[in-house]
Amino acid sequence: MKKQIYIALICLPFFSMAQTVDRTKSPAPGKAPLIQVASPVKFTLANGLQVFVVKNTKLPKVTATLALDVEGFKEGDKAGLAEMSGQLLKRGTATKSKAELDEAVEFLGGSLSTASGSASASSLKNNFPKLMELMAEVILHPALNADELEKVRKQTISGIESSKDDADAISNNVMKKLVYGANHAFGEITTTKTVNGVKVEDVKNFIKTYWIPNNAYLIFVGDIDPANAKALAEKNFGTWAKGVYARPIYEKPAIPATTYVAIVDRPASVQSVVAVASTVNLSKGSPNDIPSNVMNNILGGGFSGRLFANLREKHGFTYGAYSSLSPSKQIGMFSAEASVRNEKTDSSIQEILNELNIIRNTKVGDTELSRMKNYLAGGFARSLESPNTIANFALSIAVNHLPEDYYQKYLTNLAAVDAQKVQEVATALLNPTKMHIVIVGNAKQIAKGLEKYGPVKYFDMEGNEVAAPTEVIADASLTPAALMEKAIAAVGSKEALDNLKDVQLKGTASVMGQSLEMKQTIVVPGNSVTTMSMGGMAIMRQAVVDGKYAVTQQGQQAPITDDLKEGLDESASLAPEQIYLAKGYGLKIVGGEKVNGNDAIDVEVTTPSKKVAHRFYDAKTFLLVKTSKSEEVPGRGTMTQQQYYTGYKNVNGVQIASEQLMDLGQMKINIKYNDIKVNQGLKISDLK
Amino acid sequence: MQKLGTILLASFFFLNGAPAKSQTIQFEKYTLPNGLKIILYEDHSAPVVAVTALYHVGSKNEDTARTGFAHFFEHLLFEGTDNIKRGEFDKYVTNAGGALNANTSQDRTFYYELLPSNQVGLGLWLESERMMHAKIEQVGVNTQREVVKEEKRQRMDNRPYGSFLTEILKRAYKVHPYKWAPIGSMDHLNAAKLEEFIQFYKTYYVPNNCVLSIAGDINKVELKKQIEAYFGPIAKGTLPINRPSIKEPPLGGEVRDNIYDNIQLPAVLDAYRAPKQGGDEYYAFNVLSTILSGGASSRMNKTLVDSKQLAVATQAAPFFNEDDGLFIVLSVANMGVKVEALEESMDSVVNGLKLRLVGEREFQKVKNQITTDLVNSKATMAGIAESLANNEVYFGDANLINTELEKYNKVTREDVLKVAKKYLNKDNRVVLHYLPKEKTTK
Repeated sequence: MKKQIYIALICLPFFSMAQTVDRTKSPAPGKAPLIQVASPVKFTLANGLQVFVVKNTKLPKVTATLALDVEGFKEGDKAGLAEMSGQLLKRGTATKSKAELDEAVEFLGGSLSTASGSASASSLKNNFPKLMELMAEVILHPALNADELEKVRKQTISGIESSKDDADAISNNVMKKLVYGANHAFGEITTTKTVNGVKVEDVKNFIKTYWIPNNAYLIFVGDIDPANAKALAEKNFGTWAKGVYARPIYEKPAIPATTYVAIVDRPASVQSVVAVASTVNLSKGSPNDIPSNVMNNILGGGFSGRLFANLREKHGFTYGAYSSLSPSKQIGMFSAEASVRNEKTDSSIQEILNELNIIRNTKVGDTELSRMKNYLAGGFARSLESPNTIANFALSIAVNHLPEDYYQKYLTNLAAVDAQKVQEVATALLNPTKMHIVIVGNAKQIAKGLEKYGPVKYFDMEGNEVAAPTEVIADASLTPAALMEKAIAAVGSKEALDNLKDVQLKGTASVMGQSLEMKQTIVVPGNSVTTMSMGGMAIMRQAVVDGKYAVTQQGQQAPITDDLKEGLDESASLAPEQIYLAKGYGLKIVGGEKVNGNDAIDVEVTTPSKKVAHRFYDAKTFLLVKTSKSEEVPGRGTMTQQQYYTGYKNVNGVQIASEQLMDLGQMKINIKYNDIKVNQGLKISDLK
Repeated sequence: MQKLGTILLASFFFLNGAPAKSQTIQFEKYTLPNGLKIILYEDHSAPVVAVTALYHVGSKNEDTARTGFAHFFEHLLFEGTDNIKRGEFDKYVTNAGGALNANTSQDRTFYYELLPSNQVGLGLWLESERMMHAKIEQVGVNTQREVVKEEKRQRMDNRPYGSFLTEILKRAYKVHPYKWAPIGSMDHLNAAKLEEFIQFYKTYYVPNNCVLSIAGDINKVELKKQIEAYFGPIAKGTLPINRPSIKEPPLGGEVRDNIYDNIQLPAVLDAYRAPKQGGDEYYAFNVLSTILSGGASSRMNKTLVDSKQLAVATQAAPFFNEDDGLFIVLSVANMGVKVEALEESMDSVVNGLKLRLVGEREFQKVKNQITTDLVNSKATMAGIAESLANNEVYFGDANLINTELEKYNKVTREDVLKVAKKYLNKDNRVVLHYLPKEKTTK
């Protein structure tokens, strides 16, 4: 078939040597290549282990993958158990430490990996029989050692901790919990608490329950005869004891009666993560499978999807907007997502819903459809170069009960998708009136106007419904000046403040898992030096000493501007409100919000150099609890820096915040002062 | 980190050819009248094809006052041609479900398209347009100059330790053009006139300086006719090509320096002067490199990362070229570890190779790892096409892809001891300490 195309292309130069191909346009592609997807040889061991062999002699290499036929693990209050168990499998066996196991695998020039529901081993064929022994040892006789579990736990928790700052991770967690429901295996959320609940005994039980031959597939791909594969499977996995696996039946998640809005309030957010999601009745191999993949790619597949063209190229709301559609035997899921500027949250939801309606209500044009089909066909063809693809196909056919020639016919079926079918699947699968709209963002700034999409509900970052953040209303009789006086009094009496001559704070700052030394020294009046250092080397130094200002960061001097001077002056005062009143700063009470769960009054402070910052005072104690400052950074939009003050300590009658959390969006700095000394008789000359 | 080691090693072999005894790559090689060398490898195991063009021009061919030209062209030649509008070059490929890219070394520039096999014609059209009709215009030069500056900012200036290659090269070489990195000088790019870019194109981007290497699901008989149609009409280049024949004298004593960078964790880099690629010593060196950092059980990972916990990451990186190369050993310090202590431990691991023969089991382990890596490097058509082209250009022997394993098999434990003793010496190395910037201003 291909031949004819080539001949058509080349016969011109063939007949007239002076003539050449038409260089003004790209050559037409040849006919779609015939895909040869090898069918595996299959057999089942006495213990129920199903074995597939896909012989491929291209390289003298064999890969064996063991995969459990489990879609999701129901873990309940031990969520994370499956993943941790998978990691623990490879950390030593009954007779080998982790180091010995690593050496044994590498001696064979091989690789071995394990996960919650699968394991894989690969090496050249001559070493493969020995590698198989190691693979079986890992699966049948793992050490499941308590010390190693602690290492895995530590890594897992540090992963969870860092994802708490990640709005995308919060969005994913809440979305899956709302869409699937907490009772569905797909809707469970792994937390520090659930991870801490995992004991060695649980891991042992997990392995015993799930890692059983009669619910697993062993797939060989590579230069191996089915007879050899069978012998290896028998020898290494023949003794693997059968288990009992009760396939759980999950309740189908309820579809919301109407579209609603779920907000996870994150006051620190300067961008909203918006996701429009729902379950879909879509399983692999169903008639809608391939057409729906085409439809999803037209809607939101990468840079060429409509969501990208609309939300990024046309409106500039976001850096990227995509949709995804995942089929599943249990229940599939659709979502369209984008991270958008706060003020464009409403408009972005509108545009996403518009695109859902357009793809439901109008037929896709020929050019757009054929371009997308070419793109998918090309990607499919290229994926076949990897033997792992073939193994995945064989597994997918088995666990999804697909026709044996499903992948063989994939391109033909892809080619047959027409505009009519694309519209049909869009209408069948996407229902804009029954969607979960999940937003992780700053509720105060974005919630207004969202009721038009449906009821607005609030959730915490673990997907539990919570009350709407109450609006904090400041006492109307309170003037800004009176509030400043209260704030000063909260820090300390006039006498206590006057008595303070010097202050020295020492502690640590943790940044992205690293611990730095933090030190601030204040000598009244108006002198202060703050340093952040690592191993004795200063990383940052900010100083105002005797009216001289200096800021050094990463070894470079920052230019000293008027607002920098103002900031340094403030840092040298324990109650900068005194400066505001004395120097006539612009002060305005603009409202309130919850800070760490308590009501706080929001004061807008405008400095003489016209810089604007917000200071939040606790509505009861009047102590400073938060500051917030936004700045336009060319090319990057608005950058917001927030700082939280907690752990107030009374030192000689003056309240000093011993903990400060700086939130710079991408980066957080957690400062803890554990050593606070006052009135040591320090002089300006001590501020070096 | 163990992963990193393997990947780097694998990609290294990837660049330099890859055989396995049982797997012969039956390729065909011929030359068009205009001097274009063609290598074709037919393999129908998957419906894919890699269309690649390797130009024998890298940063070492550059004028000392115009460094960065070769790499700049890697960008400029995606701008468009007489028949391909600006900005559309890559769209043709992505719309066909393919992928494309290019890279530049000190010795050569390499372009490739990975396509479903029924789109092989598209690859020929794009590569022949690039060679025949590239638009070298002021607008494209200006655009790409900004892109390259941004690339330099992103990959070298802003990336921790990103300047390491530039810093090593300028200390390790005094006279050879390897003394500058392919990224070159932004001042040179700013100063260059359009006419100079056109001249560079006419000099180096000619069929007689190129190997067109195609591997995959092709029909050779018919593909040859298509190649003739697309590439036959391109005129042979006539301008003289600058091929430097400078021999770098010995280093003549240890060179040490501190580099202050925007980093949190200090790092130690030792760059030993090493032989050029392809000789017996080169193969022994690669075995030695795997002993040091191939996988979780390698000496540097086991000692520096696992047992002593002095480093968060460690790596041996062979940097072999057409002319004399480098062997780089580097470690990033763990929190609170002093560079002096780290350097001492690195030296002790490296010196271990000079003191006694590698144990037999360890030696066998490393041979096994290398054999696997060589086989894996033939897993993709792109890898095969690139190996064939590299071997042809560097050694005039595309068939090295089928014989390289023998060269590794010949390496003995004594050979490893010998190269270690000959090259891994203090007076033959550059030592850089990467330190956080503040120290200077304290």
